[in-house]
Amino acid sequence: MLDYAKYLLSPVLLATSAYGLWLGGPHAWLGFGILIGILLFDAFLEPDHSVRDTRFPWLYDGIVSVQLIMGFAMILFYAWLVGQGHFETTASKIGGFVTMMFTQFVIVAPVLHEMFHRENLFHRWLGRIGMVMIFDPWREITHVVTHHIHTVTPDDPDYARRGENLYRHLAKTFAGQIAESYHLERRMWTKRERAWWDPRNAWVWRVGILAGFVGLLWLIGGGSGALAGVGVCLLGPRILLEIFNYTQHYGLVTATPGRFEPRHTWNHLTPFVRLLALEITNHTGHHEDSYKPFYELVPDRTGPKQPQFLICLLLAFVPPLWFMMIREKLHHWDRHYATPQEREIAEAENIRAGWGDLNERPSLAQARFAVAP
Amino acid sequence: MSVDTLTVPGETRAPTREDARGCRIAVASERGFTVGRNELLLLSALGQGINYPHSCRVGTCGRCKTRLVSGRISPLVDFALSPLTNRDLKDGYILACQAKVRSDLEIEVGLLDHRVTLPRSIVGEISGWRILPGGVIDLRLALEEPLVFEAGQYAALAVSGSFVRRSFSFYDAAPGSDGTREVGFLVKHLPGGRFSGWLGRQDRRGVRIWLEGPFGQMGLDDTPRHALCVAGGTGIAPILSIAEDRLRRFPAEGITIVFGVRTRADLFALDRLERLSGLAPGRVRVVPLLSHEPAGSGWDGARGLVTAALDRDLGIDLPEASAFVCGALPMVEAVETRLAALGMPRGRIHADKFEPSGL
Repeated sequence: MLDYAKYLLSPVLLATSAYGLWLGGPHAWLGFGILIGILLFDAFLEPDHSVRDTRFPWLYDGIVSVQLIMGFAMILFYAWLVGQGHFETTASKIGGFVTMMFTQFVIVAPVLHEMFHRENLFHRWLGRIGMVMIFDPWREITHVVTHHIHTVTPDDPDYARRGENLYRHLAKTFAGQIAESYHLERRMWTKRERAWWDPRNAWVWRVGILAGFVGLLWLIGGGSGALAGVGVCLLGPRILLEIFNYTQHYGLVTATPGRFEPRHTWNHLTPFVRLLALEITNHTGHHEDSYKPFYELVPDRTGPKQPQFLICLLLAFVPPLWFMMIREKLHHWDRHYATPQEREIAEAENIRAGWGDLNERPSLAQARFAVAP
Repeated sequence: MSVDTLTVPGETRAPTREDARGCRIAVASERGFTVGRNELLLLSALGQGINYPHSCRVGTCGRCKTRLVSGRISPLVDFALSPLTNRDLKDGYILACQAKVRSDLEIEVGLLDHRVTLPRSIVGEISGWRILPGGVIDLRLALEEPLVFEAGQYAALAVSGSFVRRSFSFYDAAPGSDGTREVGFLVKHLPGGRFSGWLGRQDRRGVRIWLEGPFGQMGLDDTPRHALCVAGGTGIAPILSIAEDRLRRFPAEGITIVFGVRTRADLFALDRLERLSGLAPGRVRVVPLLSHEPAGSGWDGARGLVTAALDRDLGIDLPEASAFVCGALPMVEAVETRLAALGMPRGRIHADKFEPSGL
C-alpha cells in the first residue's frame, strides 16, 4: 500500500500550506518552505525507476480527485484571506503569494493536466474545469492537438529550439498558443457550420467558466482577493507551466513528425519530483500514450534525462547557466539518441543557435545548413 | 482475402492491458477481428496483420476513414479537426487511427487484399531538376539504397538539416521487387512555400535529401477494367504511374486520362503522356482541359473544370470502370460526387487528395 500512500504527500502539503496561510505572519511561508525543502532534498537522490502497484486504481483516482478539489478550495481560501486583510506585513503578503504560486504549480497544475487527459467523463470534466486555475481553460485543445502531435517541431508552440532563452520562449509560446487555439477552434466551428458565438462551441463555455471563476474569487475575496487570486494563477501555474514545457523538450528534434519516439523528450525521474508532479516528469510514458493514467507510466530507464527538475527550473531563469548545462546534454543526445536524419537536423539547429562547435564535422554541417529551407 | 503480417518500423502496437476485455469488431462483408478495450482500432488491426487502409496514421490523411455502424469509440482528438467533412461526421464516419475502442463495434471499411510495402527512410541527393510549364518542377532523386514502391504511392521528402517535410507522389512506374535507386516527383513551385519555394528558387542538383516512404494505397485496384484517370495539375504524377502500371498488367484494357490545368501555357508532362500512348497504341486517350484559357486563344480542345468532361459522352461505361482521381481536395470531391451521380460505384473511385500543408 506504500505506493498509494506516497501520493498522499501532495494533499498533506496542500493542507499544511493552507494551515500556514491561516496562521499568517511568517507562517505564510510554511508551504513554500516545505515544498522547496523537499525538492532540494530530492536533488540529492538517485532516479527512481520503480513501477507503481496498479491493483487498486480507484485509490489513486480518489486521492488526486481530492487533491484537485483541495487546490480549487485553496485558491478560494487564499482570496478570502487576502480580502479579509489577513496578511498584515509585506513579508507575510509575499510569503502567502509565493506559497500559493508554487503549490498551485507543483501540486495542482499536474493534476488538472492528468485529469483532462482522462477518458472517464467525471475526471475529464474535473480537469477541464480545473484549467481555470492555470487561467487558461483553452489549454486542452492546443495541448492535445498541437503539442502532442507536433512534439519537438517548430510547429509546436510549446517547443523551445536550440539557442532560445526562457524569456524569448515565454513571449513566443504565449503568442503561438493564442494563435493556435483560435485556429483550431475556428476549424471546428466552421466544419460544424456554427457561428463563433454558438453556445455549443467549447471556447464559449470556457469563457463562461473563467468568468465564473473570477466572479467567485471576487465574491469571496472582494477586489483585492480576486486580484491576488488571479495574480497567483498567472504568475504561478500559468508561467511556471511554460517553464516546465521549456525544459521538457528543449532542443530535441524529430525526423518523424507526428510519430513520437521515446527519445523525443527529456525525463526527470527523482522520487519526490515523480510524486509531486504526478509522474508528468516521466514524460516519455505520457507522450507514448497520453490517455494512460499516471500510475501506469513506466519510467524510461535508458531515455534522455536532465538534472533534477528544481535545478533545471532555476537554471532556466539564468540563460548562460541553462545553456552551459543543456549544450552538454544535447551534445550527448545527438550522438547517442538521434537517428542519422535527426543528427543532420540537430547539426543545422546547432548552427542556427550559434553552437556550431557542438557539431562533429562543422564545415559539412555548415554547407548543409546553408542550403536547407 | 490474403492478409500479410505488417510491422511498421518505429511504431508500437497499442498496449494491451492484461485484464482488457476483447471487443469484437464486425466488419461488413469481411471477416471480423478482436481488439482489446481501449486500444486504437487501426494500430491494433495492423498489429494483427490485418490490411486496414491507412496512410499517415496520425489523423491527417483520412485514408482510414471508417463508418461506425454501431458501438462506441473515443476519438483521440475531435474528428472535426480531421479531414472528415461535416457530412461524414453526421453520417457516422470516424478515423480508425484516432479511435479508441470502447465496446464491440460494427464497422464498414474495405480491408485490402494486397501485399503492403513497408515504409523506410533512405537518403539520396537531387539528381535532376527541371522547370516545366506552369511552374512545375520535375525533381529526380538518386537514392543510396533501392526503394520498392507501387503505382500511385507517395513519399515524404525532407532536405538534410531541415524540419520541413512534404509529401509528393512518384510519377514513375512501379519498379518491381528489386526496387529502384532513382525516383521522380512533380512539384508545383509555390513562391513563399517553405519547400517548393526553396526548391524553385534555383537548380538544387546535388543537395542531400531524405525520403520516407512509400505511403498511400490509391493505385491498389487489381481488377482489369477500363481506368478513368482524372488529374488536376501535379495530380498527374500518380496518374502517370498508375496508368503505366495498368497498361502493363491489363493488356486488354484501355485508359482515359482527363488532365486539367489553367491555361495552355501551363500544360506540362505532355511528353510523358505521349510516351504512355506510345507504350500501348490505341489504348490511351488523353483529354486535356483548360479552366482559364482566354477565349479566342486558338485552343480548340476542351475547356472548363475537369468535371465538365465527365459525362456520358465520354464514351466510357462508367458503372463498369475504375476511377483514379488526384488533385486538390475540392476538385477531387467534386469529381467523386460527379462520378457517383453517373453511376460509378463509390468503392471503385480511388482518390488522392492534396491538402494545403501550410507555408
